[in-house]
Amino acid sequence: MPKLYKSITALLAFTGCISLVITGELNPVFLLPGIALIPGYWRFLKGRPPLPRWLIGSLSLVEVVIVFFDAFIVSGDFLIAIAHMTIVFQALKSFDLREPWDPLQVFFMSLLQLIITSELTLSIAVGGIFIVFLFAMIVAIVLSHFIKEGTLHKVEFKKPLVFISLFAFIATSVFFVSIPRAKGGLWGRRTEKGITFVGFSEKVDFGSFGNALIDSTIAMRAEVSDKRLPLYWKGITLDYFDGFSWKNTLRKKKRIFSKAGKFTIRYAKPEKLTIQKIFIEPMDTAVLFGLGEIVAIESIGRVLYMDEAGILLLPAKINRRFSYTVYSIPYSRASPVESKPEYLQIPDGIEKIAALAQQVAGKADTALAKAKLIEAFLRTNYKYSLTTKPTPEGITPIEDFLFNSKEGFCEHYATAMVLMLRSLGIPARIVTGFLGGEENSYADYIIVRQSNAHSWVEAAIDGTWRRFDPTPAGPPKMASLLFLYLDAMKMNWYRYIIGFSSRDQIMLLRSLTMPVFKMPEIPGIKITVRPVFIVIAIAAFTTLTVVFILKISRLKRYPPETKLYLKFKDRVRKKGGKVSPSSTPSEVMHEAYRLKMNPDAVSEFIGIYKEIRFGGRKMDSRIKDKYKSLFSGR
Amino acid sequence: MHHVKATNEVLSNSLKALEDRVNSVIKGKAKVTRLAICTLLARGHLLIEDVPGVGKTTLAFTLAKAINCSFQRIQFTSDMLPSDIIGVSIYNPESREFEFKQGPLFANIVLADEINRTTPKTQSALLEAMNERRVSVERKTYTLPEPFMVIATQNPLEYHGTFPLPESQLDRFMLHLKLGYPALEYEKEVLFERADFEAIEKAGPVIETSEILKMQKEIDNVRIEQSVLDYLMTIITETRNNEKIRLGASTRGAQFLLKIAQASAYYEGRDYITPEDIKETAPYVLGHRIILRRQTSISDAVKVIEEILEKTPVPV
Repeated sequence: MPKLYKSITALLAFTGCISLVITGELNPVFLLPGIALIPGYWRFLKGRPPLPRWLIGSLSLVEVVIVFFDAFIVSGDFLIAIAHMTIVFQALKSFDLREPWDPLQVFFMSLLQLIITSELTLSIAVGGIFIVFLFAMIVAIVLSHFIKEGTLHKVEFKKPLVFISLFAFIATSVFFVSIPRAKGGLWGRRTEKGITFVGFSEKVDFGSFGNALIDSTIAMRAEVSDKRLPLYWKGITLDYFDGFSWKNTLRKKKRIFSKAGKFTIRYAKPEKLTIQKIFIEPMDTAVLFGLGEIVAIESIGRVLYMDEAGILLLPAKINRRFSYTVYSIPYSRASPVESKPEYLQIPDGIEKIAALAQQVAGKADTALAKAKLIEAFLRTNYKYSLTTKPTPEGITPIEDFLFNSKEGFCEHYATAMVLMLRSLGIPARIVTGFLGGEENSYADYIIVRQSNAHSWVEAAIDGTWRRFDPTPAGPPKMASLLFLYLDAMKMNWYRYIIGFSSRDQIMLLRSLTMPVFKMPEIPGIKITVRPVFIVIAIAAFTTLTVVFILKISRLKRYPPETKLYLKFKDRVRKKGGKVSPSSTPSEVMHEAYRLKMNPDAVSEFIGIYKEIRFGGRKMDSRIKDKYKSLFSGR
Repeated sequence: MHHVKATNEVLSNSLKALEDRVNSVIKGKAKVTRLAICTLLARGHLLIEDVPGVGKTTLAFTLAKAINCSFQRIQFTSDMLPSDIIGVSIYNPESREFEFKQGPLFANIVLADEINRTTPKTQSALLEAMNERRVSVERKTYTLPEPFMVIATQNPLEYHGTFPLPESQLDRFMLHLKLGYPALEYEKEVLFERADFEAIEKAGPVIETSEILKMQKEIDNVRIEQSVLDYLMTIITETRNNEKIRLGASTRGAQFLLKIAQASAYYEGRDYITPEDIKETAPYVLGHRIILRRQTSISDAVKVIEEILEKTPVPV
């Protein structure tokens, strides 16, 4: 076996195994046999003899037993068990490569490993491995073909390799663009480890929250169509406070059904819409986040739920990375508030807080003014801190914040403000979600982390919900440029590789046909050009140019007499003559005779050609003219 | 140097006359005639494999007489000794010395009939003489006359009591031909004619021996263009790599192919080789030099060579 073929075999075996390892789904015990690949291929490349067949055979038998043991008892999962098995078999095979076709088994196993990998993870590393695999596999298959034919030593295979690789790359790209991603994996088990420690939670309770706010895990990424809406990523609203924690009691849900992939909540003018494409990381919630007032959502599934508070929920929690598109408008009078008694609920024993509210905002005439006063009061007189001391005995955490420690984080501020508003008779609720995010200018999107988790206040004033944020701003955090750059790559991977949707296809097509070509206007004559024809014309022109260049380059290598001879040969072929690359000039000539071409002229033409080409005769202008006239004579 | 014309179908007058003479006796075998003359010009030897009675002797005799050369026919038998063909030293009582009596090999054109009937010992004596163009008897070397050409025949159908030539011996023949039965219209003509060796002898030569010798030297001046040489070597290499072939052509095979291509070009009045010179002669030059994995006969080998020729692109 040639060295290159051996190296490619080793490369493919390692690629397959490494791709499985990086999924992080495998049992480390089963990765140990994979280490045997290193001595195995070292021996193979050094040309050491393979291990005896009986040893390989009996180890393989043992492994088959282990697979069943593994599938039913150890990992309890067939796919994982097969993944383990492929690693063991790759390791065994590395000691058992005897014949030139043995590497084919390695290629097959690597392919299987790559398929399993794609099922287990959506990581960007798989993309890199796939590209390595694609090209290595092409080289391997081409080599194995020539080895099988026994013609490797005299085949110029570099050119076909480059050609096939380019073709595969183009074809893959075309397939990539034309086939939208299937939802879920091949076996519908594409899982990601969910973020179990969530900054955002559906229940707010003091103490558990602070830790989350320093967690820089990315919660979601979002592309936002414009900057009209402030970046308050609304998640859920909470209405009931028991003195220690908030709950949502308005849980009665109604269903919204999708029409053509779109869930419409209410109509809004298209120009007012702010579109957000959200790529959410695996998160332990079914809530759909969005800015402002959500009027429509594009998402997977056929049904969504909306509870009484207007929160949008998926039918079930999805513990994987997925994306959806939100259409929002700013809050307006168009969406009147249903006044509910829950928004005025206050726990017992908050007289001190009510008194504070009265003191701060009692003098103002309107609800709006009162709310603004309370917001300003909290913002200016309290200190933002993530490190709160434990609440002393005999006092509620919120009283401790307002009257003793005077420092806290968003939960404290929002709770305090809602309670103060409610004590003044203004309906209010807590909203939890995310605030802001880092803009990544490399790919023009926003990174939202767990540390962006935030709570703020909504108050029903003049028949509409208004947002208030009593929390003073904390110190801004900046991510490094390198981080942003790498994250942009990741985002593009999810956005355009994993999440390439039929909508993206339509957009791509539209971008091809959308440009309006403005022809110069001549009075009286109106020229309209359908853009699609221009696309066709450009495509046709490009194709013709490529064909022309190829044809030229085929003939360019040859001297003029050969070019003319090749044209003559082509002519004989087109007339039905049996000519091939192995035809000699005389054979071509006899075919021409058979086809009743002028025998004297043909014979003289071929004679001159042979004289010049093989006889080394110089082509003076007289012969040149004669030669040309003989050619064009027929 | 031979006069070069733009067309390739022109023979020199004397070669044309030679060809016409042989064709007038051996009818309908133009290609064999031509290849036999080319072998003569290329200083090679010819192996003809065919059933008896198709005119092998007539061909050899006619060729010899037309170039005004001596002719000898040796019928090989199993009891023949090397001295029967080479010659023997006899004690002359008058001069009190051993005198060498030349055997039948000392002729310009030697027809070695049914060469596979004799023992390997005698075969190799003949083949050595063919190769070296001289014989050594008792530490004395005798040069064979020039031109010297052996036309050996083998009967492919009889195997009893034969000693088929091994491939290494076959390699010494430049060309391997099959005469075959004449076409029907010629065979009808042949039926009424008698192979009149006297008449052939009386007709006299059409070309002088010295001219043949001159032509044999001139052939070495026929040029081969680099890409045509590459084409030749591609064919030779392919016989060594082809999966159907166990043993490919030898370097001597390549030499002979080049030589016969030179003769073929010269024959057509060219001083340069074209790819057809190689493609048209290669089956006859290489067919008996290769051993197939499943060898049945030389004609199978010729088919494989033809396959190779159909696969090898001709330089343009």
